[in-house]
Amino acid sequence: MTLLLKAWGLYARLTARYPAIRSIVPFIPVVALWAAVAEAEVFPRAFFPGPLEVARSFVSLVYKGILPDYLEDSLLRLAVGTAAGMALGIPLGVLVGLNARARAMLWPVLLFFQAIGDIAWLPILLIWFGFSLTTMTFVIVYTVLFPVVLNTALGVRRVPVELHRAARSLGASHARVVWEVVLPGALPNIMTGLRNGLGYGWRALIAAEIIVGTSGIGFLMFDARRAGSVVEILLGMIVLGLLWYIVDSWVLAPIERATGQRWGLVTQ
Amino acid sequence: MLAARPRFSRPLAAATFLAPLLVLLLLWEGLVRGFGVDPRVFPNVESVARAGFDTLQDGSLLRHVGASLGRVAVGTALAIVISIPLGVAMGLSPVVSGFLTPLFRFFSVLAGIAWIPIATLWFGYGFGAITFVIFNAVFFVVAYNTLLGVASIPLPLRHAAASLGAGGWTMLTQVLLPGALPNIVTGVRTGLGFAWRGLIAAEMIATNVGLGYMLFLARDFYRTEVIVFGMIVIGILWLLIDRLLLAPLERATIERWGMVHRA
Repeated sequence: MTLLLKAWGLYARLTARYPAIRSIVPFIPVVALWAAVAEAEVFPRAFFPGPLEVARSFVSLVYKGILPDYLEDSLLRLAVGTAAGMALGIPLGVLVGLNARARAMLWPVLLFFQAIGDIAWLPILLIWFGFSLTTMTFVIVYTVLFPVVLNTALGVRRVPVELHRAARSLGASHARVVWEVVLPGALPNIMTGLRNGLGYGWRALIAAEIIVGTSGIGFLMFDARRAGSVVEILLGMIVLGLLWYIVDSWVLAPIERATGQRWGLVTQ
Repeated sequence: MLAARPRFSRPLAAATFLAPLLVLLLLWEGLVRGFGVDPRVFPNVESVARAGFDTLQDGSLLRHVGASLGRVAVGTALAIVISIPLGVAMGLSPVVSGFLTPLFRFFSVLAGIAWIPIATLWFGYGFGAITFVIFNAVFFVVAYNTLLGVASIPLPLRHAAASLGAGGWTMLTQVLLPGALPNIVTGVRTGLGFAWRGLIAAEMIATNVGLGYMLFLARDFYRTEVIVFGMIVIGILWLLIDRLLLAPLERATIERWGMVHRA
């Protein structure tokens, strides 16, 4: 018991000094449990391989250059799709947020198309564009677009109208009001939208890669499924999880925190 | 996600909501007719309506929708029943919840679609695999949010309740669950969003009945009118689920307990 307490004390001190440890150590018992279950062969080994096999396949896939290639493909698609989605979504969101007539016209349409969902577009996209990059990019742009538009509009409408009037009466043009008052004010919401959009876009990408199936992590997993190789499926899942974890906690969360602190309009 | 619309009388609100969609419908018909679009590229309104009528008449639409909704209901119910108690139990101690948070974040990132390949291998193609995908889409997100919700209840509140003599059960029903409820509801809404997409994707890949399958089968025969009809059905179903089930739930809990601010 005292030993356990001592170990815990050490852990507490270490995490206090290096907070990164806190997000790594919890995985150790999980991996250990996974290894134990696999070693005990509770399930057939082919259905439930251990962490060592997965690590070995990681090394071999990296060595062959397949994994880096696929990873690059997936990330590139996600990046291009997200950039296009933001480029379309933010202006549209500002328009919908600022102009009552545009809102009345577009809001129901936006809600409806958002409800259809990205993945339901895949069949008809396959007819239009075939099994191609265009299909996948379309799906990601579509997925990222709606959370960004809806959240931007929400953020734009949250900027107090007094601020508009103050800027106007000090002589700012409409364009300047949008650039210096509305956009900064909506920035925290835009970031929330981006984060939601990426969360959905990420899943859409995997689905698109599984169904369109030319390259990418999703394709890697489904190809492995066809060959019955659970090892590679698990590897794909771990890579996906790690990657998103990194993007979310090292890129998105800091940006969100920074915009929230800088402009101070988020309520959470 | 929704900004409050100004409250008119109900029929008027419905009319202003539907009018833009009607315009869209006219635009669609006009464009398809005006440019003489090949029906294999995009169908006209009439053929979509006929496709809808046909599938309704031969009962196949009902079968697909029933299968899809059944899977969502079973998977979601199972996930909610298991994940809420688990999340509450995990959130009780700050040490435990601090330790488990990264784990649950990791798994809620993977939730849903990423499990399709392995689910089809473990459970075979069909009901089991798809329900599993929905289950874990909802499970990890709800468990994670419940954990966060319980962990975010100020400790003084729990101490106050305890010092006023609240036992385990009273504490659970009067303090912990109500305090975590807004988070739980947010979790359910997000989880269902992932589950719905996961459902459509899984049905395209791994079954022979369901809305996703209906779309994907139609693709094989270039029956765009069936695809478009299916997409409209998917959109309407999700709007109904979201508006009639999730949004009121969220509004009620947030207004009632008022601990979160909508982001």
